[in-house]
Amino acid sequence: MNEISILVDEVSLSFPKKKSILNIFKKSSTNDFLALDKIRFSVNKGEVLGIIGRNGCGKSTLLRVIAGIFRPDEGQCKSSGKISLLAGLGTGFTGHLTGRQNAFLYGSILGNDEKIMKELMPEIISFSELESFIDEPLRTYSAGMKARLGLAVASALNPEILLIDEVLGVGDPVFKEKSKAKILDMVAGAGTVVLVSHSFGLMTSICDRVIHMSEGKICFDGNPKEAIESYYESEEKRN
Amino acid sequence: MGEGLEHRLEVVGERSSSILSPLSSASILFYHQYLIQNLIRKDIKARYSNSFLGYAWTVLEPALLSAVYYFLFIMIADDPDPLYAVWVIIGVIVWSCFGKCLQSTVSSLTRNASTIHLVYFPRLIFSFASVGSTIWITLMSSIVLIPLLFAYDLEISWQLLLVPIAILLAAFNAVGLGLLLAPANCVNRDIEHLIRFIVRAGFFVSPVMWTWDMAMKRGWAADVVIWNPMVFPITLARDGFLGKVTEFPMNGIMISIGWGLAMWIIGTMVFNRFERSAVKYL
Repeated sequence: MNEISILVDEVSLSFPKKKSILNIFKKSSTNDFLALDKIRFSVNKGEVLGIIGRNGCGKSTLLRVIAGIFRPDEGQCKSSGKISLLAGLGTGFTGHLTGRQNAFLYGSILGNDEKIMKELMPEIISFSELESFIDEPLRTYSAGMKARLGLAVASALNPEILLIDEVLGVGDPVFKEKSKAKILDMVAGAGTVVLVSHSFGLMTSICDRVIHMSEGKICFDGNPKEAIESYYESEEKRN
Repeated sequence: MGEGLEHRLEVVGERSSSILSPLSSASILFYHQYLIQNLIRKDIKARYSNSFLGYAWTVLEPALLSAVYYFLFIMIADDPDPLYAVWVIIGVIVWSCFGKCLQSTVSSLTRNASTIHLVYFPRLIFSFASVGSTIWITLMSSIVLIPLLFAYDLEISWQLLLVPIAILLAAFNAVGLGLLLAPANCVNRDIEHLIRFIVRAGFFVSPVMWTWDMAMKRGWAADVVIWNPMVFPITLARDGFLGKVTEFPMNGIMISIGWGLAMWIIGTMVFNRFERSAVKYL
């Protein structure tokens, strides 16, 4: 099985530093911050890819380009199948709606209609372990509970491609185990997962391949253990 | 690179042609109606959560405002039209629909920055959802007109339907201009402040506290005022309340509808073209 599900082809993206309306007309200018610099890689269907690197190296931006949130300045990104991005702790959730209403809203944002969401609701409730809290307003939730709900909704929708940005480190150890199992489950269902995380233990145990990024470029792409070594090497050089 | 199969791949986030965007933007309304409905529901719930009177505020707000303006008018001019209070209520309802639609569309990208960073869907939806909830709330607040019909012994006629039509037209006149400015507002929030001023100033330049008939009595004023695209919707709603189809001059009707259409075409094209680079500023 060698079907490609994500192809990132020479993608560059820069963020404007100066705030001027005229900048919007330009493609890019010299004093922009180059967040991604000619990134090129592909992910096969069913593969779990990890991305590591220090803060601000462009990991999250890369995920957002794959999810279609940012449009690359140069190059293009191709994918096959439904993508869902899981980022931050419960962002996009609204405090005064109940957990159930938020799940419906989040589900519809990710492109599902009411009928599908109704069918998925029992699964979401049981996976998130919220039980009776599901009908309480979201502002009463703890950060971990919000994150659990987010992961429950995003994974219940069975996206063909799941992009995860730093959310697996949340929750108690039992829930961590559960989310790890869920991801492995998805992979078994031939889903593709791209994972950004700082927890290297998790990376080595579930990723088939790890990319090490630094300053918007790919430094290493391959075996997880070697990628982590490459990360530590570059950190040592820096110091 | 692997020698994988690439035939199923689609380019992520390819921009559709700018020229077609007036049409493709309208089709988004249909394709994403479930999501838009959900966002509207969320918006309305958010607006009235934690308030004891809740939805009653939609009716109370224009009613109280009109009471103030009515008092003011009696102080200034001593022989008011008996229906003047109603004219002000209708003016306030239709104008604030325009104003709120305009402001919420201009700030639709900046207000939703956290959602924009989380998931991609056509960003026009934020604007459509806020306009939708404004229309809904405006329609609810126009319920205040029904008891007034009885109070002034007016008949219930089909022409009353012109009131919601006028409200929709007011919203439509706002959307295009809002979409035109929304991407620029991501870069410089000055646009938002400018629009807030325009909405406040426009309140006096538009027939909220005066009527088209008053302008006609002044002769030259009517020739100037007719260029304001909001004169027609407000007059249409007032005439509808009286149970007559409007006698507003045809060229004024064309100006109002033409403005809405032209702004929709320009606004959607600009939004489609610049929205992607604008969100990088959020």
